[in-house]
Amino acid sequence: MISKNDIDLYKQFVKTIFKMRYKGSILGFLWVLLKPFFMFIILFVVFSSVSGQVGNLTSRQYAVYLLSGLVIFTFFNEGITWGMGSIMERADLILKINFKRDIVVISALTMALINFGINLMIVGVVGLVLGIQFSLASVSYILLIGLVMFLGLYGISFFTSIWMVYVRDLAHITELGLQLMFYASAVFFPVEMIPEKYRFIVEHNPIAIYIQSVREALTYQNIVNLKFVIGSLIVSVLLIIVGNIYFKHSVKRVAEHF
Amino acid sequence: MNENTAIQVKNVSKNFRIPVKGHKNTLQERFLNPFQKTEYREFSALKNLSFEVKKGEFFSVIGPNGSGKSTLLKIVSGIYVADEGEVKVNGSLVPFLELGVGFNPDLTARENVYLNGTILGLTKKELDKYIDEIFDFAELRDFADMKIKNFSSGMAVRLAFSIAIRVKSDILVLDEVLAVGDADFQKKCYAYFDRIKGLKSILYVSHALDSVEKYSDRVLWLKEDRSYEIGSAEKIVNGYKNAN
Repeated sequence: MISKNDIDLYKQFVKTIFKMRYKGSILGFLWVLLKPFFMFIILFVVFSSVSGQVGNLTSRQYAVYLLSGLVIFTFFNEGITWGMGSIMERADLILKINFKRDIVVISALTMALINFGINLMIVGVVGLVLGIQFSLASVSYILLIGLVMFLGLYGISFFTSIWMVYVRDLAHITELGLQLMFYASAVFFPVEMIPEKYRFIVEHNPIAIYIQSVREALTYQNIVNLKFVIGSLIVSVLLIIVGNIYFKHSVKRVAEHF
Repeated sequence: MNENTAIQVKNVSKNFRIPVKGHKNTLQERFLNPFQKTEYREFSALKNLSFEVKKGEFFSVIGPNGSGKSTLLKIVSGIYVADEGEVKVNGSLVPFLELGVGFNPDLTARENVYLNGTILGLTKKELDKYIDEIFDFAELRDFADMKIKNFSSGMAVRLAFSIAIRVKSDILVLDEVLAVGDADFQKKCYAYFDRIKGLKSILYVSHALDSVEKYSDRVLWLKEDRSYEIGSAEKIVNGYKNAN
């Protein structure tokens, strides 16, 4: 049962995280836009000629290629990292007040979702500049992929936010894992650059598949991997259901282990 | 549970396992010392404790440091889970184990009122209604848009208290909230006790025996050997005083 207070508390948490993230910096909120922008520029300058040679991409195509990779991967990265740290980060509150614990998890993921939304808007603007044709189907498909990812990340965070309290190494392990994922998802280089025998990694990596689907949707207005996305939707929903049960059961004991 | 009961604590026990040697919090420690066994000391904080707080009752808990008072409040508040026994709560409960929970030094006083207020169970709408009164009561009207980190600790406590008394719950759990303020602040707290006495059920922990005796209907005395006594305020407080 969700009360009016739960919703207000959720809004307060999101607002506070948001304000805290950019407090004291002169450019403040602008950093949300600047960070991915510079990341994009750096990778673009370094890799656009290589991708032209290896992947046969024009620099305009490569821009879309890189942008979709960065946007999807950043969402995954932030969702995993922030979701996992959410309970630990609010240890002070959890030790003092009996509010619904899952509110901190969903608040952390909402932050990732907001950033994702902003990044999508950047893609939209850049896309218009580059002369991409957006179709209703391709835009809806990209939004569906975002939703599936959000649900999946939420489900995963039900587990990781609890595990994090017991094994603090998880933060470092995850950081390494995410770095590996960054390379294994072909975010910034053409898939052709990977030797044939290792290509299966990219072909079976869900993040790479999401990225590829977004690329196809943006570049050619093609809907690809629909079956996989629908399958992920089902898995994500199941993950949320099971995760929620696990979370409700385990979170009661968490306070003793901070 | 009887409908006149606000809190029912039945045969509750709580042990903590405190690692004394070879505590392994990270994997590194586990890898480097795979055969070293972690030694724990079982520490019993509460043992087979039972009591009931009736609706509208002012129920206090006293006892020396380490007798399990805070553990008890945390179990009643749903922050810890009892190892054995059960706790039932009838109605909405808000714990005050600390004033100003969630106060963020980098937010303004006004923002903190909304943050802390919602954490304590108020809705935004209610806070919109109360906000002026909250600042007036705390005598901080001119400081509403100042960041809390620039507040003196006295100002922060006044603000926190001013929010706390707006809380609507049926049951309040109060841990040493009086210990933080000056005489003037304590007077305000006592005035608040007078106002809510009989209206809300209160579970109160304090070392201030005079206030315990004055306000409590009944008192629970937790002893170091995990035994306990429950009785009228006068009887228990006197017994406690004589024992020390």
